[in-house]
Amino acid sequence: MRFAFFKGCFIPVRFPHIELVASKVLGDLGVELQPIEGFSCCPEPVGFLTDRFTGLTISARNIALAEEEGRDIITLCNGCTYSLRQANLRLKKNPELREKVNEVLAETGHEFKGSIEVKHFAQVLKEDIGIEKIEALVRKPLSGVRVACHTGCHILSPPEAMGFDDPLDPVVLERMVSALGAEPVDYELKTLCCGWTLTNFGDKESANRLVGTKLNLMHGAAADCMTVICPQCFYQFDTGQMLAARELKLDYKLPVLFYLQLLALAMGYNVDEIQLSMHRVKDRTLEEKLRRLTA
Amino acid sequence: MIELVLRTDYVSTDEAKGPRRAAEICLQCGVCCVVKHSCHAQYGLQFTPNHTYVYDCLGAEEPAENPNLWLCVSCHKCEEVCPYEVSPIRFIEAMKAEAFRNGSVHQVILDEVNQIVTTGYAFPLTSASERQRANLGLSPLGSQAAAELAVIARRSGLADKRGEEKP
Repeated sequence: MRFAFFKGCFIPVRFPHIELVASKVLGDLGVELQPIEGFSCCPEPVGFLTDRFTGLTISARNIALAEEEGRDIITLCNGCTYSLRQANLRLKKNPELREKVNEVLAETGHEFKGSIEVKHFAQVLKEDIGIEKIEALVRKPLSGVRVACHTGCHILSPPEAMGFDDPLDPVVLERMVSALGAEPVDYELKTLCCGWTLTNFGDKESANRLVGTKLNLMHGAAADCMTVICPQCFYQFDTGQMLAARELKLDYKLPVLFYLQLLALAMGYNVDEIQLSMHRVKDRTLEEKLRRLTA
Repeated sequence: MIELVLRTDYVSTDEAKGPRRAAEICLQCGVCCVVKHSCHAQYGLQFTPNHTYVYDCLGAEEPAENPNLWLCVSCHKCEEVCPYEVSPIRFIEAMKAEAFRNGSVHQVILDEVNQIVTTGYAFPLTSASERQRANLGLSPLGSQAAAELAVIARRSGLADKRGEEKP
């Protein structure tokens, strides 16, 4: 299966190692990632609420570029999925709005037709590949690795547009972690946001308090690490953990792995190949455990 | 008995109020912020169970000028847990748009919007990013979308709102 590869902004600019791992591991699963040079920011779902029509038109342009290649879009980010899926749905349902957007797009030479779908990589893994097939492809089960799952907000809500999981009781990421042989841990406040906007627009003390609260609950549930499927969440719990740990004097480290990194390990890649050294939060015990399991 | 000449049904009144209806019908029960897994903005130190984040937004005298608006990440949890279908998110999002129109938008948001329409990226492209990409064997990032985004900004009216001169 071939998808238009929507890398977004945050991963290619700040976490290119995740783009690298995504390209390798999705390729191994038979997902061909077609690069589209003209893609722009989705645009991100908080900033462009200020001018929704322009935001919608930028999303429509991105979708139109994939339509020109006849490909559905695959993303690596909850925020990109949220913006693009909602735009796709609104414009497919509302011919008048579509006409207005296409009037603006006309000068760029593109037209939104409404002929493709937008999917987060986790949706592709769940719906197009299947969790059972992923389980069957595991070469190095991550036995004994206890993982706290943080699904994030924008892939869950609004459920009628996102269609991924129950927004108040998500279980899909845990099933995807179990498929790798790892053990998802149960912890409180699983659906609480990573606090991205508190970090950017609020006071640092509040942001640290939120990140620290979530980390303490995961650590209390004896997690060895946590996993995310969104780069903003990754930033909050990796870089944000360093800041919160200093402020709150946390006496443990809870490494954060993007789900595709866990998947890559289970499919036979080693710790160096998933670029774990590029993460801020490092824990020798976990690293040794992962090296043993993937040897 | 006084007979009212003009009667307006509830549905029409609600439609006329649009997202601002949320502020009127909210019972201030606090569920949207006090349910433990719901609003992350409630972690702001200024909010309490009696003065929740959502009420701070809905109850502000000039809601579009409330800097706390920008703490909302549009997670929709308030909408999902509200027992009275208030949908605070619609109100907050409408106020963000109003803030953009009246010039009280958060500077970080304004910078980000400008960054996106001029480069195609929400985050600044730096030489460090390009170096890191090159070290990993990844292709360089360009700004291929910038010219077309400038056209969209001009034609959608965003450029006017940002005070840009017309070409």
